[in-house]
Amino acid sequence: MINFTTFGLLFLMALSIPVGIVLFLLAFGIDSFFSPFPLMRGLGQVVWSSSNSATLIAIPFFVLLGEILVRCGVATRTYAALNKWVSWLPGGLIHANIATATLFSATSGSSVATAATVATVAMPQAEKLNYDPRLFAGAIAAGGTLGILIPPSINLIVYGFLTQSSIPQLFLAGLLPGILMALGFMLITVILCVIKPSLGGPRQQYSLREKLGSLGDLLPILGLFAVIVGSIYAGWATPTEAAAVGVAMALAIAAQQGALNMPLLLLSLRGTIRTSAMVMLVVVGAYVLNYVLTAAGVSRALQSALEGLNMSPLATLFVIILIYIVLGFFIETLSLMVATIPIIVPIIVDIGYDKIWFGVLMIILVEMALITPPVGLNLYVVQAARKSGRFTDVMVGCIPYVLVMLLMVGLLIIVPQLALYLPSTL
Amino acid sequence: MMMRVIDFLGRINNGVALVAGLSLLACVVLILVEIVVRQLGMPLGGTDEISGYVMAMTTSWGVAYALTERAHVRIDMLRAKCVPAGRAMLDCVAILALAVTAIVVAWRGWSVLSKTLITGAKANTALETPLWIPQLLWWSGWLWFAISAVLIAAASMMLLFQRRYDAVNKIAGMRGEL
Repeated sequence: MINFTTFGLLFLMALSIPVGIVLFLLAFGIDSFFSPFPLMRGLGQVVWSSSNSATLIAIPFFVLLGEILVRCGVATRTYAALNKWVSWLPGGLIHANIATATLFSATSGSSVATAATVATVAMPQAEKLNYDPRLFAGAIAAGGTLGILIPPSINLIVYGFLTQSSIPQLFLAGLLPGILMALGFMLITVILCVIKPSLGGPRQQYSLREKLGSLGDLLPILGLFAVIVGSIYAGWATPTEAAAVGVAMALAIAAQQGALNMPLLLLSLRGTIRTSAMVMLVVVGAYVLNYVLTAAGVSRALQSALEGLNMSPLATLFVIILIYIVLGFFIETLSLMVATIPIIVPIIVDIGYDKIWFGVLMIILVEMALITPPVGLNLYVVQAARKSGRFTDVMVGCIPYVLVMLLMVGLLIIVPQLALYLPSTL
Repeated sequence: MMMRVIDFLGRINNGVALVAGLSLLACVVLILVEIVVRQLGMPLGGTDEISGYVMAMTTSWGVAYALTERAHVRIDMLRAKCVPAGRAMLDCVAILALAVTAIVVAWRGWSVLSKTLITGAKANTALETPLWIPQLLWWSGWLWFAISAVLIAAASMMLLFQRRYDAVNKIAGMRGEL
């Protein structure tokens, strides 16, 4: 039954059947071959109750917020402002890439759209100022991945929904590791650029007056971030309410940019339905598979199989991490998360690890999937925005940042409090 | 003829997406009002319930739009390496699998709605919403998804037999990343 599930999953996905549909088909298969009673009679009810959710509606809200932000041109000003604050470091503009990608993806909740937006804004500078194109592009692709860890994060909402854990707790758990990783990205850039100055470009000095003057341009994005995270942390708002407020603020930002018009709104609404429906088909599929796996006893079978192996919890954890790294080469972020949650998370909980903590660890691992070839969406998106040069440049440029991510995974295992301290204050 | 039908389908789904998007926006407004009113000490109540219904509907109708937009996630490792004929064949396998699944969901979803219609069940909340209203809107979305999928599947098969692989890609293939 375990083999059937695993190989079925990989085989059907390789056939390029939509991932959400693969999850449904597996559920049908397990039901007809392994279940002693017909589970599919309950299918309608499972689909209804999984999507009738005031928690999940935060997903389209955050997508809409991101769609508006990406289209309204606020990225250009954010980039220019952050440039004034960070490009005195060795590596110059590369730090602005990381900071903008981090801040923008954190707020907009979309890694891919961020990578595309920031790459469009930043790439012309690379050629003008003679940067090494590899590290420059790699920083954008890697910085963009942080958005799914730093709240608000759609992926964390999906994880919380499928594992029935608290979304505010998950959001807080992701905050510190996310910021640490952004700092880690900057640190490794400094180290590389000190060792080999030709990697970076000219460092730029700005006066304090210029820095303070640019704060006005940072305010919209920082304010949006602070309101969303702050109101959830303070307990004033549920994630859904915070998301609704975020949409209103994004509209206000677009208006302030002079970009709020009918075409922008219609494009954003259509884009929102497209993206969130794509996400939801996968989520509903996973929910159905989850229900069947549990009811047919696959999860229990897996647990006893693992206990038979007699591995220590830490060894099991390492095997699981290895599985994610390998699968991450081939499967993109959301599919990887959602297809593995029903199988992996019960095991993790069973061997004594914390669900919230593992959520953060898993997100870092699937972030790596975004920038590891051959299937790494951010790599392609940044390459598409570059319009010239070789694809392998972006790949090579990401390697240092992948190392930082691996380091963070190790650090989280040694010091779980990095993720668990903030939620414990809730 | 078939292409005209698919074209028309795309245009209908554009409208569907717009309506779904606007109901999301309405839901945002409702939640904002609820937050303000709650601060004034007289909560509306029922916002969560309505948000849930809106989510169920935008999901079931949205998946049809994502289908005509070719936006559903597919892993294209193998597909990318195929010759156009192989690619068109995989596209047909994918859309057939999707159509079958959509039909099963619509069929099983009907039992939820029909039970509600027979018993006249109301939501166990302050609003006492008659459940058949949100469930009808939700179920018809899945039905529409199934209809759209069957039409696209039929058209793709026809085009496959006519060896018009480009056309298959256009209606059932994969969209570039950007």
